[in-house]
Amino acid sequence: MSSSLELLAEIRQSSERRPFAVLKLAEPLLNTRGVSRAGDDAWLVYEQVFVSAIDEGQIELAKAVLVILRTRFPSSQRVKRLYGMINEAVGHPDEAKTIYKEMLETDETNILASKRLIALLKSYGHIGETVKQLVAYLDIHNNDFEAWLELSNLYLTQNLYPQAAFCMEEVIMQQPANHYFHLCYAEISYSMGNFDLALKEYLRVVELSTDNVRGFYGIKLVADRIRDIRAKPKRDQNARIDDAPQPATLDRLSQLATERLVAAYNGANDTCKKTAEEWLKA
Amino acid sequence: MSGLAESTEQVMFLDPAIRNWVLFPITVIMVLVGVFRHQLTILMTGEPPKPDIRDIRQAKALIRGQILAQSNSYIPLSSFTERKKFLCSAFEEGDYLKNKNAKDQSPVNMMADPKNMEVMMDGMKKQMMGIVPQTLIMGWIQFFFSGFILIKLPFPLGLRFKQMLQSGIMTPNMDVKWVSSLSWYFINLFGLRGVFSLILGGENSADGIRDMTAMGSMGAMGQQSGQPQDYNKLFMAMKDNLSIVYHEWDLANIEQRVFVKYGKQSRVFTSAAK
Repeated sequence: MSSSLELLAEIRQSSERRPFAVLKLAEPLLNTRGVSRAGDDAWLVYEQVFVSAIDEGQIELAKAVLVILRTRFPSSQRVKRLYGMINEAVGHPDEAKTIYKEMLETDETNILASKRLIALLKSYGHIGETVKQLVAYLDIHNNDFEAWLELSNLYLTQNLYPQAAFCMEEVIMQQPANHYFHLCYAEISYSMGNFDLALKEYLRVVELSTDNVRGFYGIKLVADRIRDIRAKPKRDQNARIDDAPQPATLDRLSQLATERLVAAYNGANDTCKKTAEEWLKA
Repeated sequence: MSGLAESTEQVMFLDPAIRNWVLFPITVIMVLVGVFRHQLTILMTGEPPKPDIRDIRQAKALIRGQILAQSNSYIPLSSFTERKKFLCSAFEEGDYLKNKNAKDQSPVNMMADPKNMEVMMDGMKKQMMGIVPQTLIMGWIQFFFSGFILIKLPFPLGLRFKQMLQSGIMTPNMDVKWVSSLSWYFINLFGLRGVFSLILGGENSADGIRDMTAMGSMGAMGQQSGQPQDYNKLFMAMKDNLSIVYHEWDLANIEQRVFVKYGKQSRVFTSAAK
């Protein structure tokens, strides 16, 4: 019994979303009333089970758990948002929206409600509305880098590259050592046509994370592209290559990238290797 | 008690009844009072005040300025300049201030703000909870347990302590090592902190020392930690900070660094052209 509780606590700690595992662990606990052994943690377990039940589609179980939580915490905002979530799950977005708006009216600073509202709007595809809400949220809580990431993704779905780049810059300012964010930023810059910036960012990725294959692909692509543009200057008006390095450096970079990619693919299986080699030769 | 010896070391025999009826009871009473105080404080402490959304926005805007100043080297110059301009003008205009219209007025009187009142009342209640038991116990000890020696301190002290520690006993020659029950009270005050953190967990309200420091700072009641901080001034200071930041892009010589990292070059040439 206690080991299941411990495992559940670990899953809660790591914020993983593993509905099947949670339900499997929690079912015996719920049936034999072992949850009461967890003491104060019992309510956390109930909340966890509720979310997993919704994920798995077990609405009846979710409703039962919700009743238990409601009896214990009758006027809780946290329980109220669970009501909102279950409405979302069964397909009543309007009720859910009303619930979240009510929560925000009683307490403007309720982060749970703001985030659920944004998630609701996003899941129903109202991207414009989502972006508006998210921007309002970020106006206040501008140190929430995950929210900036989300906004960047939303902009990318609409191909608004400059705005997405802006959001990524905010993320990078708050998490400068994470190479993945630099990678996203590099790829957005490359898509926009800022090749000089893209090159630098790809280099940063490769500096932070040794032999990062995506990073090296990026370097090779950008270096070759810059070379092509320099050869035929009239072709691409949007490209920005003012800060790009000298041709000699570009060649060396391209060479380095090829080398590291070959080294990386040496360990891969044959089809991968062949495809990579052919691409690299081209 | 036998008389004083002639040697430099004063030897006295104390009645064991003193130990049974004074030493232990004082300690036990102090522990019990401490635990009682702790529980009472938990009952009496109100909820921490809910921050207003405009307060949060203010505070986070300041944080944003700080992050920009700190991490400016990770974003290109154009982005940094854009943000700098935006934030500086926002701070100047007071866009993030809680009450934009009152920007130029002097800081608000602390008493007027109802939320502040609750916080202050809470603080004062806590201080009362600390001071009253201490005073009571001290008075009780003075009343019942004065006039005799309780313990001998293992370390020597200066003569000036004689007056405080041997308060009930007027003898000119007795060594300062022999002290009365009041000093045992003080020893307990400092020593029981460890016992309390064992019994009550880390953050407990039975700490005598914290009360003493609180008593000391009671005089400076005006300085509540950050409550009515003048955000306008803070924003102006941040704006000045930002305008003098020298932006140096971290990625300026990254090609060299990558070459060095992958062994193509032995070191970074600082003055080398791109």
